[in-house]
Amino acid sequence: MSGINLEHISQHFGEQIALDDVSLTVKEGEFFSLLGPSGCGKSTLLNIIGGFLEPTKGVVYIGDQDVTTLPPYQRKTGMVFQSYALFPHLTVFDNVAYGLKVQKKKKAEIKQKVMESLSLVQLESFAKRMPHQLSGGQQQRVAIARALAIQPAVLLLDEPLSNLDAKLRKNMQTELRNIQRNVGITTILVTHDQEEALSLSDRIGILGEGKIQQIGTPLEVYRQPNNRFVAEFIGQVNLFEAEYDEVTSTYTVPHFIQSNGKQVQLKVAAFKEKSEKHLLMLRPERIKLSSVGEEVQPNHVTGVLADVSYIGHSLRLVVGLNQGEIIVHASDAAFPELPQVGETVHIHWQPEDIVFLDSKVHA
Amino acid sequence: MRIKKKNQRFHWFMLLPACLFLVVFLLAPLVMMFVLSFRDVDSMMNTLQSYSLSQYLHVFTTDAYVKAIGSTVWVALQTTVICLLMAYPAAYVLVKAPHPRLRAFFYILLVSPLLTSVVIRTFAWIVLLSQNGLINGMLIDLHLIEKPLSMLWNMNAVIIAYVQVMLPFAVLPIATSLTDMDRHLRPASMSLGAGRIRTFFHVTLPLTIPGMITGAIIVFSLAAGSYITPLLVGGRMQPLLPLSIYQQVMQVYNLPLAAAMSFTLLICVLAVVSLLSYLLKRWEARMHA
Repeated sequence: MSGINLEHISQHFGEQIALDDVSLTVKEGEFFSLLGPSGCGKSTLLNIIGGFLEPTKGVVYIGDQDVTTLPPYQRKTGMVFQSYALFPHLTVFDNVAYGLKVQKKKKAEIKQKVMESLSLVQLESFAKRMPHQLSGGQQQRVAIARALAIQPAVLLLDEPLSNLDAKLRKNMQTELRNIQRNVGITTILVTHDQEEALSLSDRIGILGEGKIQQIGTPLEVYRQPNNRFVAEFIGQVNLFEAEYDEVTSTYTVPHFIQSNGKQVQLKVAAFKEKSEKHLLMLRPERIKLSSVGEEVQPNHVTGVLADVSYIGHSLRLVVGLNQGEIIVHASDAAFPELPQVGETVHIHWQPEDIVFLDSKVHA
Repeated sequence: MRIKKKNQRFHWFMLLPACLFLVVFLLAPLVMMFVLSFRDVDSMMNTLQSYSLSQYLHVFTTDAYVKAIGSTVWVALQTTVICLLMAYPAAYVLVKAPHPRLRAFFYILLVSPLLTSVVIRTFAWIVLLSQNGLINGMLIDLHLIEKPLSMLWNMNAVIIAYVQVMLPFAVLPIATSLTDMDRHLRPASMSLGAGRIRTFFHVTLPLTIPGMITGAIIVFSLAAGSYITPLLVGGRMQPLLPLSIYQQVMQVYNLPLAAAMSFTLLICVLAVVSLLSYLLKRWEARMHA
C-alpha cells in the first residue's frame, strides 16, 4: 500500500491541451476523488496513473517508485471501469482469479484469495456464474473484487457507479466506502457526480479546463470554494458582484434593497482586501426567510417570490430582487402552507454566510 | 392487438418477393435435383423413369470420386485455415487504424477485389504463376532458380487462388467481432498484470472466436463449392468434386450422377457448417443469455 504523487503532469493531444501542469499528492490509505465536468481531463489523469497513457510532461510516483514510463501490467494498480469490463467468457471465479493466474500463484492459494475477495463483496455464492447472469450492481462488485484480488498498491475507479440506477448507486457508494475502509487501500475515484464525491471522499480534487481548481476536504470545497468554477460546479449557488463603499467601509450589491427602499450595507465576517469589485457567494440553504419588516437582522433584503418548486424535503424558492433574482432553499418543515408566487418576502443571512471568491478560474 | 396483427401480416407481405424468388430459384431446383439424383440412366446417358440408389452407389464405390470427396474437403479446410491466419492480423490492423478515414480506406482496399469477377482474378494468377510467368521470370532473373518452377496446374495453385479470392470474407467477420469487443477489456487485463501477448491469447482471441467461426463457415463453403478457380489454375484433372460434377454435366451428360455428386458435396459442406454453427452457438450461449 502506498500513496500517489503527481508532479507537473501535462498531457497534450495534438493542439489540444487535456491536462496542464497538474500536481497532487494522495496520501496512503486515502480516498481521493477527481471531480469535474466531462472533458475536464479527469479520466485522462486516471489513465496516466494507471499507465494507459504516458504524459507529455511530468512524473508519476506510486509510493517511492517513479512509474511514469512503466506499462500498466508492471504497476501495482487495480482498476475498475465504468463498463465493469468483466471478461464475458470467464466465470465470476475465473474473472477474479485472472490476475492471480498471471502471477502464477498456486491453485490452492488462488482459490483462497478469490474466495476472500468475493466474500469482501458478499458474492461467494456467485463464483460459478457467468457475468451475464449477474445484475449491474453485482457485476460492479465482481469488478471491485477482481481489482482487489491482486492486492494492488492503489485502487483506481473510473466512474464505477454511473451505470447504476439512483437507489442502487447510493447503496453501492456506502458499500464501496466500507470496502475501502476495511482494506485500507489508497483509492482514486473519478466522477462527475458531486454528491458521490462529497459523500465518499477524504479529499476532493476539482478539475476544470485541464487544471486543478481546488483540492480540499468535502467541507472545504463546499463551504470555501476557491473560485467561481468550484462554487458553481459543487452544489447550487448565488453569485453577486459586490462593490466596496469607501465612505461607509462596507460592501453593497445593487441587487439588494431593504424593505424601506434603502440599499443594503452588507455585514461580512471576513474582509477581503479593500478596493474594486468582489465576487461573493451565498449558498441557497444559508438564506432564511423572515417575517415582514424585521430589520433587526443583518443583511436583510426584500423581494418578490417569482417561483416555488416543491422537492419534498425542501422548497426551492426563486426570489426576484431589485435586479436579477436569488435562489433560496428552505426546509419543508418551515412551511405549513406553501408560499404563493407574487408574495413579498423578506430574506436575511448571517455575515459568515458570505464567501468571497476569486472571480477568475485557474486557467 | 389488432393493429399489431395487421402489422405482422404486412411484414410477411414484405417478405413475399424474396421468399418467392428463393422458392423458384433455389428450393425448386434443389428438389428437382434431389429427385433426379435417384434416377437411373441407360448406356447412352438417357435419364430413365425408374428410381434407385445406383447413382449414390456409383459415387461411393468409384475410387476416384471417393478420393475427390476427401480432397475437396481437405483443400477447403486448408484454404480456411490459411485464410483465418492471414485474415486475423489484417482485421486487427483494420480495426486499430488510428483515423476513421484510414479505416475506411482499408475497408475499400479490402473489398475492392470483390468488384472484379473471379474469372478475371483467376486468370491473373495464371499470368503470375505460369512457367514463363511473372514470378518464375523474376526468380530466374535474380538467379535464384535455373529452371522455372511448376507452380500452376496443381493443388497449391488452387489454394493460393482460393485464399486470394476469399480472404475478405474472413477479414470482415473477424473485424466485426474485434469492433464489438468492450474497449475496456484489454486495459482491464493489463491492469491485472497481463502483458500484451497474454492479453491477446486470454482475452482478445477467445472473444473473437465467433468472428473466426463465421469467417470459416463462409470460406469453407465457398472453397468446397467453387469450380471456376480449380478449373482455371488447377487444370481439369484435379480430383475435386465440383470439377467432377462439371465434367458429368458438360461432357459426359450424366445428369443423375451429377445430381448425386452435388448432393454428396452439399451434405459434406452442411456437415462441416453445422458443426461450426453448433460450436458458435455453444460459445455464444456461454457468454450471453
